[in-house]
Amino acid sequence: MNSSCSIRALWILNNQDTVLFSRRFPVVERRWNVAVNRANERCKGDQGFIVLPSSFPTDSEIAAAFTERKKREGSALGYGIRAKQSVEGSDSWVDDPIMRHILSLHVKKEENGEDYTFWPLILHAKVQYYILVLPLVEPEHLKAYNTLCRRSDCGNGVGVDGNLSSLLLQLPCITGAFMVAHVLGDIITSDIPEPEVVVSAGPSVGGLLDSLTGSIGISARPKPVAPPVAASTNSTAIGGGSLASDAPKTGPRNLDKDALRSFISTAMPFGTPLDLNYSNITAIRTNGFSPADVAPVDSKQPAWKPYLYKGKQRLLFTIHEIVNAAMYDRDEIPDSISVLGQVNCRAELEGLPDVLFPLTGLDSKRIEILSFHPCAQVPEQGGGDKQAVMFSPPLSNFVLLRYQAPCSIGVPVKGFYQLSMVSENEGAFLFKLSLMEGYKAPLTMEFCTVNMPFPRRKVISFEGTPSIGTVSYTKHSVEWKIIPSGRGVGAKSIEATFPGTVKFAPWKGQSSDDSGSVQGGDEDSDTEIEQGNSMVNVEEYLVEKMNKHLPAVDLEEPFCWHAYNYAKVSFKMAGTSLAGMMIDTKSVNIFPSVKVPVEYSTQVHSGDYILWNTLGKCPVAATPAN
Amino acid sequence: MDTTPSPSQPPLKPLTPQEWETLIDDHHHGGHRLHRWISSNYTSQPLFDLSLSSLLRKDLPLSLKLLISSFLEQHVTSLSPIPFIHQNLIHLLDTLRHVINSPIDPVTITYSLKEQLLISTTSIFIIFTINNNNNNNNSDNVKLSFVSELEGLIEVLLTIVNRTGYGLDRQLRGVACECLRELERECPGLLSETVGVKELRRVMSFLLEWPQYLTTFGLFEFMSVVMPVAVALELQASLLKVQFSGLLFTSDMLLCHAYLGMYLQFPEAFSGHENEVVRRVLLISREAQNALVFRLLALHWLLGFMGLVMSKTEVDKERIFGTALQFYPTVFDPLALKALKLDLIVYCSVMLDKSRLADANGEMDSNVGSSKGSVVKLFEDALESVSGFKWLPSWSTETSVAFRTFHKLLIGESSHSESGSSTRDLVESTIFHATERMLVTMTLESRGLIPVMAAFINRLLRCHKHRFLGEQLLQTFDNHLLPKVKVDYRLGSYFPLFGKIAENVTVPPGGLLDLLGKYMSILVEKHGLDTGLRSWSQGSKVLVLCRTLLMHHQSSRIFLGLSRLLAFTCLHFPDLEVRDNARIYLRMLLCVPGNKLRHLLSAEDQLPSSHSTPFFTVQSPRFSYDPKKSKDISSYIHLERVVPLLVKQSWSLSLASFNINGEKPNYMEVITDSNTPLWQPETPEENPESPSIPALEGPNQSQEPLRVTDSKVSEIVEVLRKHFSLIPDFRHMPGIKIGIQCTLRFESEPFNRVWGNKGSAELDLLHPALYATVLKFSSSAPFGSIQPYRIPFLLGGPTKNKIPSGQSQSDSLDIVPVNNGIVDEEKEEESFNARVLIELQPKEPTPGLVDVSIEANAENGQIISGQLQSITVGIEDMFLKALVPDDIHHDEIPGYYASLFSALWEACSSSSSTGREMFLLKGGKGFTAINGTRSVKFLEVSATSLIQAVEKNLSAFVVNVIGDELVNIVKDGGILSETTWNNDEASGSGLDVVAVDQYMTEGPLYLKYDEEEDEKGSNLHINKRNMGRFHILIFLPPTSHLLFQMEVGVNSTLVRIRTDHWPCLAYIDDYLEALFLS
Repeated sequence: MNSSCSIRALWILNNQDTVLFSRRFPVVERRWNVAVNRANERCKGDQGFIVLPSSFPTDSEIAAAFTERKKREGSALGYGIRAKQSVEGSDSWVDDPIMRHILSLHVKKEENGEDYTFWPLILHAKVQYYILVLPLVEPEHLKAYNTLCRRSDCGNGVGVDGNLSSLLLQLPCITGAFMVAHVLGDIITSDIPEPEVVVSAGPSVGGLLDSLTGSIGISARPKPVAPPVAASTNSTAIGGGSLASDAPKTGPRNLDKDALRSFISTAMPFGTPLDLNYSNITAIRTNGFSPADVAPVDSKQPAWKPYLYKGKQRLLFTIHEIVNAAMYDRDEIPDSISVLGQVNCRAELEGLPDVLFPLTGLDSKRIEILSFHPCAQVPEQGGGDKQAVMFSPPLSNFVLLRYQAPCSIGVPVKGFYQLSMVSENEGAFLFKLSLMEGYKAPLTMEFCTVNMPFPRRKVISFEGTPSIGTVSYTKHSVEWKIIPSGRGVGAKSIEATFPGTVKFAPWKGQSSDDSGSVQGGDEDSDTEIEQGNSMVNVEEYLVEKMNKHLPAVDLEEPFCWHAYNYAKVSFKMAGTSLAGMMIDTKSVNIFPSVKVPVEYSTQVHSGDYILWNTLGKCPVAATPAN
Repeated sequence: MDTTPSPSQPPLKPLTPQEWETLIDDHHHGGHRLHRWISSNYTSQPLFDLSLSSLLRKDLPLSLKLLISSFLEQHVTSLSPIPFIHQNLIHLLDTLRHVINSPIDPVTITYSLKEQLLISTTSIFIIFTINNNNNNNNSDNVKLSFVSELEGLIEVLLTIVNRTGYGLDRQLRGVACECLRELERECPGLLSETVGVKELRRVMSFLLEWPQYLTTFGLFEFMSVVMPVAVALELQASLLKVQFSGLLFTSDMLLCHAYLGMYLQFPEAFSGHENEVVRRVLLISREAQNALVFRLLALHWLLGFMGLVMSKTEVDKERIFGTALQFYPTVFDPLALKALKLDLIVYCSVMLDKSRLADANGEMDSNVGSSKGSVVKLFEDALESVSGFKWLPSWSTETSVAFRTFHKLLIGESSHSESGSSTRDLVESTIFHATERMLVTMTLESRGLIPVMAAFINRLLRCHKHRFLGEQLLQTFDNHLLPKVKVDYRLGSYFPLFGKIAENVTVPPGGLLDLLGKYMSILVEKHGLDTGLRSWSQGSKVLVLCRTLLMHHQSSRIFLGLSRLLAFTCLHFPDLEVRDNARIYLRMLLCVPGNKLRHLLSAEDQLPSSHSTPFFTVQSPRFSYDPKKSKDISSYIHLERVVPLLVKQSWSLSLASFNINGEKPNYMEVITDSNTPLWQPETPEENPESPSIPALEGPNQSQEPLRVTDSKVSEIVEVLRKHFSLIPDFRHMPGIKIGIQCTLRFESEPFNRVWGNKGSAELDLLHPALYATVLKFSSSAPFGSIQPYRIPFLLGGPTKNKIPSGQSQSDSLDIVPVNNGIVDEEKEEESFNARVLIELQPKEPTPGLVDVSIEANAENGQIISGQLQSITVGIEDMFLKALVPDDIHHDEIPGYYASLFSALWEACSSSSSTGREMFLLKGGKGFTAINGTRSVKFLEVSATSLIQAVEKNLSAFVVNVIGDELVNIVKDGGILSETTWNNDEASGSGLDVVAVDQYMTEGPLYLKYDEEEDEKGSNLHINKRNMGRFHILIFLPPTSHLLFQMEVGVNSTLVRIRTDHWPCLAYIDDYLEALFLS
């Protein structure tokens, strides 16, 4: 296993393929060249592949290589898995989805015209930026990759020697480079994810810098945005298929290069990352250390906690859950509903205390803990009910643990959605929903909206009145606000029905609404169905007709959303965890012992909460029998 | 670039902050933007000097100084020419000392600047002072240069580090430590004198105790340092295990990865924890809070980890199966994740299948049945998550993911590098068969997938290692898909797949040709006003497939089927263009030998060029006739009768008076373009080979004069009139034909000696073949014109009797890969023989010789032409059954024959009262009269052998069996049918027609008494000299008859013969002797 985690260089490009920022680490590059010379020395004489020692590519060379790859692979991320257009030597030839994130670039040097292959380049696309990070690997890894992407055979089997998986397992530097790329992405978009911690009394509480600057009395930078955690990964899902990642995007024009440079020179001065904690690094950069910041005498100060908290002590927890559901309302397909949760924490505690957080009361058969924060000492598994996790909290907000579970109390929104096309341009639909059935206080639902997206049809009008709430429509969707935000309701069962019809503009094959390229449209008229009486069902006919123009979705999507009719439910609830996650504030202990107020709150958000059209097609996945 | 600027060069003009930024940007960018700086000398050493001096300027903003420092570090190799390195290092160290020693002020000298300069200086020193010597094998040989400057730097760094107890600059101290660490990393042992061993131990033990105090990357770095040490010292892994086990449970991906690395370093210490690791890493992939790429990475680690661990440890099937269930994708998993989870399931399936096979090889596993089912169900269920691919368009991502999985399923764990034999086992695996089934079903159900399927198969076919899998798949499709597809207009969508089948030599083309034939006839059938374009398009597509077949298969393999299809097309297809093209292909198939044909077809896109062998150089068949070569062809090309003649006739009697021949002599027909196509489709209504039996035409309109006859005579006349009215008058209409079955074969070896072309491929030499053979017949006997017979294709057979059997047998077995490679001796024999039917239309029932000449093409385009051995026609070839009127019911036929026999028998007696009667023949123009002759033949032959001979050779003609004893014997035999049985000679009563299969004329004998009994005669009840009589009625074309009345005795038989064609008696004598006495 390659033991180092160093970076040779990194580049940040915009969506016009211009390099906006680059940083080369000559010390790491020197190591690469030493390794290359050594490897070439070794295989001198035999027919081994000689890796050319390379000089750094210039920004323009990288940009050209990136553009060339984009052309070859169809998009900046590329096909990933082997497609019709894939050629030997390209990333998609390797035939693996992760090749959309780990690229090779063929750089043509301007001075001598020679080609150099750079691999592995970690690609992280964030808003309009592409971040490329080149970690240091051994020359034989590059060779191994070259073999993978240039082999003329039909592609790798699973579990055989020399495959991509074992290569990735051997290369933690790739993992590290991804972490670097993600942090850089957060910095350039000023989108530093800080786990949200909510106190029952007021708004959410910001991160380390706020507490620091607050106590010092200066305002150093704008308050970091504290988005609902994990929302960024889920909210893009709706209609994401047509959202081509290469489309021009708007965003900040100039990235804050100074912020980047200062972060890099502290986080990885020589190219080997030391720490990627943005809050800590910024705090040190901005504030430095004052004479007041003295190290504790009785214990060692961890590297990840450069400052110690001073002031009024309290301990805050927020349980944050996302509910994903696929509601089918069919006998043959069971509904699936799952909760993904995390416990966010903010420990405003003086000194370097340890906190004992009880896991008692957790139904361990139902709730499965996915991971702990590195500051936690993980309890031995299988210890029964009397479990607790001990952690030494860092200064900023952090995610103590993540878990997944099935829904333990009733389904928040259940019922059905039926849509039937009565003619080519008119659909009749019916909703019958019940909300919070059997729920008890203190739970509240802050809002609940049902959205019927029609990304491929233009809505002209709709008719129908819901039993509760209001309805509006946009060009491509109908929205039913059952509980408008700001008018949250307590835990009471709500029945909501909504029959109606929706009219669409006549469907045109490849209208401008159809974003995304339609490949393989060369369907022969011969192969068409013999039309006329054989096509009894207008619905089937429509599906057949429209599917001819379905664009392929990105591999990041779970399925082709556009191929289905569905309603997406969005809601937010507070007061109770759907997974049954509880925090017994009285059992939270702090060592050395000190009495501090412990508060906790709960938030539940809908993720992909989908009601599939009961009368149409729906995506499914089999669940294992046991 | 000028690398040696004069040191006396005047310093560059200072730059403004904006200019500096542009300069730095342009240096990063490279290319043309760099040129103007180079041309104005802002490059190399002058720029280095300018950079250093700028760092010390007070008027430049701090951020710019940081930028310049970092710029120097990144570009120092191009800024500092080799001769100036020493001077530059001294200069740099001075600048560093100056900055470090300057007191902090908020504007010009900050901690950031000090830190940045420390880093940059250290970097530059590392680059210039530490040289890894690669020239000898000791790769760790590090040579230092500019040692005193390096020592100076280390001294600065140590000074900073050692200034403890001062809180404000702890970050700076940290940076200095980092610089030292970097120096030490690049030159191990550099600082060994500075740090004592004791201290090192202290630090190590502290870090080992408190690793959680490090940052993520710090911890990782520490582990990467500690692991090799632990391995080298053979440290107890349990210590590491205790300290670092928790890493696997953290949300930090790098730490998890570090844990896996440690696990793989010490597999023994961690063994038994595999499942926990698998479970944990799987959980990482479930963390939707994590970015997708980390979830993908986790699945890759799992694959890599399982591959490493499972290859070493015993596989526990239950565990694997349980684990595999955990990998089921969920509905909202991104497709990328689904793809990798499917990989894992494939991997588990392969492992399970492998262990099942292993079990089956050794001890029978009780679980075999169940686990077989479950393995298949495992991936069938898993594929549900992308099941949309069955109806989504073929370019959908779901489809790509699904087929990627099919690919992995098919190739299993066979890698491309190894040369093991395991790949062949793949085809035996449960998974392979299940996948095949799925693919076939899928293709039948979702035709949208066909292009994808074709591309998929192509991917396998192009792989050197898995080509056979693709071929196997094509064969599966050929066997299981072709019979099931519905033949209608939608068949066209299968053509991409059919194309692959057509291209592949391992798939017998018969099934496809058959299907295409059906499709063509449906296209013809359904053609109407509104389908013109469609017929054209589909017809053309079929022809494209035909062309593909022509290009990729030996002509011999496809000849029959394809020629039939093409002939049908050019005869019946509604679209002119399709017909024309079909004709071209057909002619190519017939006339152009295989290799050249393939070359012609494949070169369609290119213009004929000088180096290739274009169309024009194909020799026209007419010019390649070589009379010398054709001289002795009858010695190796044989046309032989299927049923040999009983009498080896050496003479024939021909009477001119009987030769009523008003026809012109027949010229042999030549194939020309205007000719009707050679090959008729095998549609029953158009089968030219089925004899046309004329129907009885209306009421009898004979215009014979009135005559007074008695009732018996009038009855006879009535029967005869009816009979003759059935017989076509050959002078005015096609007469009755007789067919002589022959076979044509030729011997390869002598054939090759004469006709072999040295230039042609060896393969063709092994398979000599005759193309478009035409056999032409002529005869001096009154047989009328004999139609030539055409054999499209004939393969040369092994030369019998000559080559020692062992060698020749294996040779000949290699020759023809027909019939799906199944080498069946009989079938093979069949393929070397062509059936030939010589059809004669005798003007007179007489034996004779038919002369045979052959014309054929050889593979290399030469014309073979010459005489073969004549075919002898015997009198028995003339024996036909009398025609039966249509209004005679099947049951009544024996009765009809009996009465016809009586009537003819009577009419042929010399004193017949019907002598002057004229009988109108069919067609209403000609008459015939009966002029009977009688004869007798005594045969000294036992009843048993006589009955056997009759049953064998004359059974079809026996119309009456009379006499209890004879009837009983013959009835038991069960051979005779359509016969009247008269148990009582006198009364003729007791008619008992036994309905036996009427087509069974040539069966073995079923007489039940055994020879021994016969010889002794003990059991046979012989009370009379005469056992009974056979009445035998033979029609001799064109209009004559031969009647036998055999009076069967125990030891001899008297045959009374009557005929209305006396010349035949000359041959009958010989015939009867050959039949009964030989």
